[in-house]
Amino acid sequence: MNDFYIIFTASLVAINCALMGSFLVMRKMVMLGDAISHAVLPGIFIAYFLSGSTGSLPILIGAAFSGIIATLIIEWFTKRARLQSDAAIGVSYTLLFAIGIILISKFGQNADLDQQCVLYGEIEYISLWLKPVFGLFELPKQTIILLSVCIILIAAVVWGYKGLFITTFDPNFALSTGIAVGFWHYFLMSGVSLTTVVSFESVGAILVIAFLSGPPAIAYLLVEDFKKMLILACAIGILCSALGYYAAKWLDVSVAGSISTVIGLVFVFVFVAVNLLKSKRDVISA
Amino acid sequence: MIENPIIEAHNLTVLYGRKPALWNVDFSLPRGKVIGIMGPNGSGKSTLLKAIMGVATPTSGYTKVYDRELDEVREKISYVPQRQDIDWDFPASVWDVVSMGRFQKRGLFKKLTSEDKDIIAESLEKVNMLGYSKRQISQLSGGQQQRVFLARALAQQGDLFLMDEPFAGVDISTEEMIISLLKEMKDAGKTLVIVHHDLHTAQSYFDWLVLLNTRLVAAGPVSEVFNDQVLTDTYGGKLTTISKISQELENKEFPIRHK
Ligand SMILES: Nc1ncnc2c1ncn2[C@@H]1O[C@H](COP(=O)(O)OP(=O)(O)OP(=O)(O)O)[C@@H](O)[C@H]1O
Ligand SMILES: [Mg+2]
Repeated sequence: MNDFYIIFTASLVAINCALMGSFLVMRKMVMLGDAISHAVLPGIFIAYFLSGSTGSLPILIGAAFSGIIATLIIEWFTKRARLQSDAAIGVSYTLLFAIGIILISKFGQNADLDQQCVLYGEIEYISLWLKPVFGLFELPKQTIILLSVCIILIAAVVWGYKGLFITTFDPNFALSTGIAVGFWHYFLMSGVSLTTVVSFESVGAILVIAFLSGPPAIAYLLVEDFKKMLILACAIGILCSALGYYAAKWLDVSVAGSISTVIGLVFVFVFVAVNLLKSKRDVISA
Repeated sequence: MIENPIIEAHNLTVLYGRKPALWNVDFSLPRGKVIGIMGPNGSGKSTLLKAIMGVATPTSGYTKVYDRELDEVREKISYVPQRQDIDWDFPASVWDVVSMGRFQKRGLFKKLTSEDKDIIAESLEKVNMLGYSKRQISQLSGGQQQRVFLARALAQQGDLFLMDEPFAGVDISTEEMIISLLKEMKDAGKTLVIVHHDLHTAQSYFDWLVLLNTRLVAAGPVSEVFNDQVLTDTYGGKLTTISKISQELENKEFPIRHK
């Protein structure tokens, strides 16, 4: 059962990240996702500090606002202070992340948080906090939260698909037809913040970034249709979670680290395979 | 002044950072004409279309279309962005792109109706791309990509078309196809505003010209503004006479840009 809980939980993180990450990859904004996943730390700390160790969904949604604030700060630096956007991202998220780390190292005991957990998560121990669901079966507390967010995100992507798609593909054209491009930007960033806030406790900040960028990038190499890319990215994320988990068990290493490594290896493999096939096809057709 | 102009710009200035892309531009354009916007690279042609569509924000001055607020008349305007504005490696099909032309009328939360689908198919047919509707856009030639952009604008069914370099990177037969389509549109009473680079064809394609070089150099009927003096002012000292322009055009490749 423990195996199942861990793989299931990692898969939920994978799906959440794949849904958001696919849009980020196509918007060439993975760096912003990366920044948000670090910048939410002060928000997470405050959420846990206020509620003790029982990070509940409403409080975590509140914490997700720190991600939006980070996006606003980054935009302010870029637009008003005319800083290059990568510099603006670098400055703001390291600052927020550092504030978060200081808060945690100083007051972490009260909130039941430590730096280790923030970076690597504690998915190995997830089944220590089982909770009954509708009196039918038990799931780890983290998993229940991730599942709720997964449902919210799927609903959001289905509801907002056209808006997200057109503003990702051609924001200028979207603006010209009167679509509120800014709304869709913050809609997506809210989703990214929520995802990173609820994912970090189980898998840690590093795996969140790997999930946000890896599976969507792999799927992008393989398909020609954005809807298929979304679905395939989810599937690849789930596959990497399972492979990574068994690899970790076999080698007796960190689960989050192992899944990140598997994602990286799959990317390299697919990238090489796709390019080999392409050059072969070119040789044949030439 | 033109009576009842379709587009007017008043003291229009657009800055990017501290750098002006357009400086104090004033003109008005007549209805039902084919209007060319010309000027060297970086002279603010795309910025002008963007300002008209509310995509770029004027630092000062304003533009008006149909003498109304932009939001009241957006549905009457079709826009073709410059081709290199978007990522053509995006995982989207030709059909996906052209159907975006219907999002405005249908809203973002309703399914496209069969009427929309007919309009999309018709628009693709008009540019000879219906056979490619399932094709991923990265697998199209430059000319085909340009036609997809045109089809999306046709699907918007505007009365006013703003097109940013629809002839960039297309071959002669595609250019002829597009030109005959534009003639048809003009005969149907549409107004066409086209950013264009080729001085050779300017006189035959356009009724009216706007010549830009960050500032407005000239605007008016082609017969009045297409002359040596104006072209020198627009393109600088390098090109001095129209005859020399044709010569230069033959000698070196003119800036028709590819991907
Ligand atoms: N988003 C932007 N940020 C900063 N500067 C910009 C931006 N867009 C355009 N510019 C600058 O504004 C000026 C005008 O650009 P614009 O794209 O309007 O020129 P153009 O006449 O369309 O040129 P081209 O013939 O190359 O398409 C250029 O100097 C360009 O570098
Ligand atoms: Mg341009």
